[in-house]
Amino acid sequence: MKKIRQEFADTMVEIGRLDPKLIVMVGDISHGILQPFAQQCPGRYFNVGICEPTIVNMAAGVAKTGLIPVVHTIAPFIIERAYEQIKLDFGYQKLGVNLISVGSAFDYSQLGCSHHCYTDFSLMSHFKNSHVFFPSSPIEFNLLFKAAYKNREINYFRLPETPHGVELDPGKIEIGKAIKIRDGEDLTIVVVGPQLKTALQASYLLSNRGLSVDLLYYPTIKPFDQEATLLSIAKTKRVLVIEEASSHDGIFNFVLRTVKHLSGVEYGHISIDDFIHQYGTYDELCDLLGFSVAGILKSIESSFVFKEKCIGLSV
Amino acid sequence: MGAREKHFRKLFRMDLKKRPLNAELRWRIAKMISLSKEGHIPSAYSIIDIIHYLYANVLKFRPKDPSWDERDYFVLSKGHGCAALYIVLLKFGFLSEKDIDNYSLLGGILGGHPDTTKVPGAEASTGSLGHGFPTAAGIALGLKIQQKPNRVFALLGDGECNEGTIWETALVASKQNLSNFHAIIDLNGSAAQILPIDPLADKWKAFGWDVFEVDGHDEEALASTFRKIASSTTQKPKAIIAHTIKGKGVSFIEGHGKWHHKIPSPDELELIAKELV
Repeated sequence: MKKIRQEFADTMVEIGRLDPKLIVMVGDISHGILQPFAQQCPGRYFNVGICEPTIVNMAAGVAKTGLIPVVHTIAPFIIERAYEQIKLDFGYQKLGVNLISVGSAFDYSQLGCSHHCYTDFSLMSHFKNSHVFFPSSPIEFNLLFKAAYKNREINYFRLPETPHGVELDPGKIEIGKAIKIRDGEDLTIVVVGPQLKTALQASYLLSNRGLSVDLLYYPTIKPFDQEATLLSIAKTKRVLVIEEASSHDGIFNFVLRTVKHLSGVEYGHISIDDFIHQYGTYDELCDLLGFSVAGILKSIESSFVFKEKCIGLSV
Repeated sequence: MGAREKHFRKLFRMDLKKRPLNAELRWRIAKMISLSKEGHIPSAYSIIDIIHYLYANVLKFRPKDPSWDERDYFVLSKGHGCAALYIVLLKFGFLSEKDIDNYSLLGGILGGHPDTTKVPGAEASTGSLGHGFPTAAGIALGLKIQQKPNRVFALLGDGECNEGTIWETALVASKQNLSNFHAIIDLNGSAAQILPIDPLADKWKAFGWDVFEVDGHDEEALASTFRKIASSTTQKPKAIIAHTIKGKGVSFIEGHGKWHHKIPSPDELELIAKELV
């Protein structure tokens, strides 16, 4: 399966050859896979250095001259370390940028918390002129980047290490639109990122046990698709949000704000509550944190009442 | 117009011979800050001569077309000295008297730090130290990528040189051979009060810059320095260490201490007037 980071590099070549305004600035990461861009778009690729605030800040100056900067490095360094630069140099000054991260959430599971980032969705949603994307398959990144990169606003693309592997209809990949993966009546699952795969597996299991899931997947985090969300939750009156992001703000907050006027809704949430002081593989940390079929079933059991349906869900 | 304002206006028309360099501009700064009760007079006084020299002699610009494609870029990285920039932008036609009258007031376009989305001629929104300089470097890089001849000048404080992004940017600008990029460091001794950074010239040299030193209050020295820079053929970015005096031009404001963010009382404004007008 093609890595999304490789798709990023390929898309830079594809667009860079057509658009001379595209400039790629990296913080000593993905240097090898970006060499085709460097060679085919000479003078427009910069491995600036290990100085993330300065890379982001300089990108604002580059944008001011009419060019379209793409800044790429690891999520905690591009978003959390350089947040004041994003806020002031792009937000306050109304300049455009494309920020591309890898290593969000706990993708760098064995490297520890210094290389984790749980707050990026929240932080990047505070600007009126920001767009937040979580493309978790190559085609999603390619289409969403092409649609957004020259809008002269703040675009943040969080690239997960592990694609979800679910085949999507390219025609349904649009900025700000959720994608309905399955139709159901009993429970809405709002899922982002690679966890689509897990949520889909869980939905099949739940279906076998008599519980139908309305499964919504969101390649775009902001603008959040309130219409699709509201339509689904108004029907099911139950929503489980699954996000590899901070429990303290993020998609769950977006959902709550979307359905705040609905009464009688039950809520469940699988997310990251605190620093993950554990090592191991990505899959092992997923199991530990509840990002698994078993974790989803457990969360459903503890969060929702289904009357006579689905007694004893846990596997 | 009150009696005190009439008194100052009368003073303003008095013989100018004994006044320090750019005394009129200094007086406008003091008056503007006194009326709005916001601003950093000493920080503005240490850079007013440099900014005025740049606009009068160095920069290419069109005040009625601030986004003119062929302009040179001036970024005031030490944004708290913006009163000096505003008064120079007024003199050269970017701003109106009404803009100055509304400084730091609701509905005005001029604040205690410049907002590039509002102020014609302010190339960056600065105030948080350590931001304007990297922005300016990015502008220089963007111009170089597009092979444009425009030049970029950033004015930063010596205290601002405590910020890590200054030195990150100094490294990057050197590595990228940004010969169109000029850093003017207002060496007014602020850093020495906090976290000393001497020897400053040696540091910029060590980071790969061509370094020039100048008296920032001497127009002839500034002219000589900028002539040398204009004739330079190296690919290095240029650092101009400007030796200045914080509060220069008014004896009791000069130096470091309580005047950094102090607003003159009416009596103090009268004393300022005695020295400037």
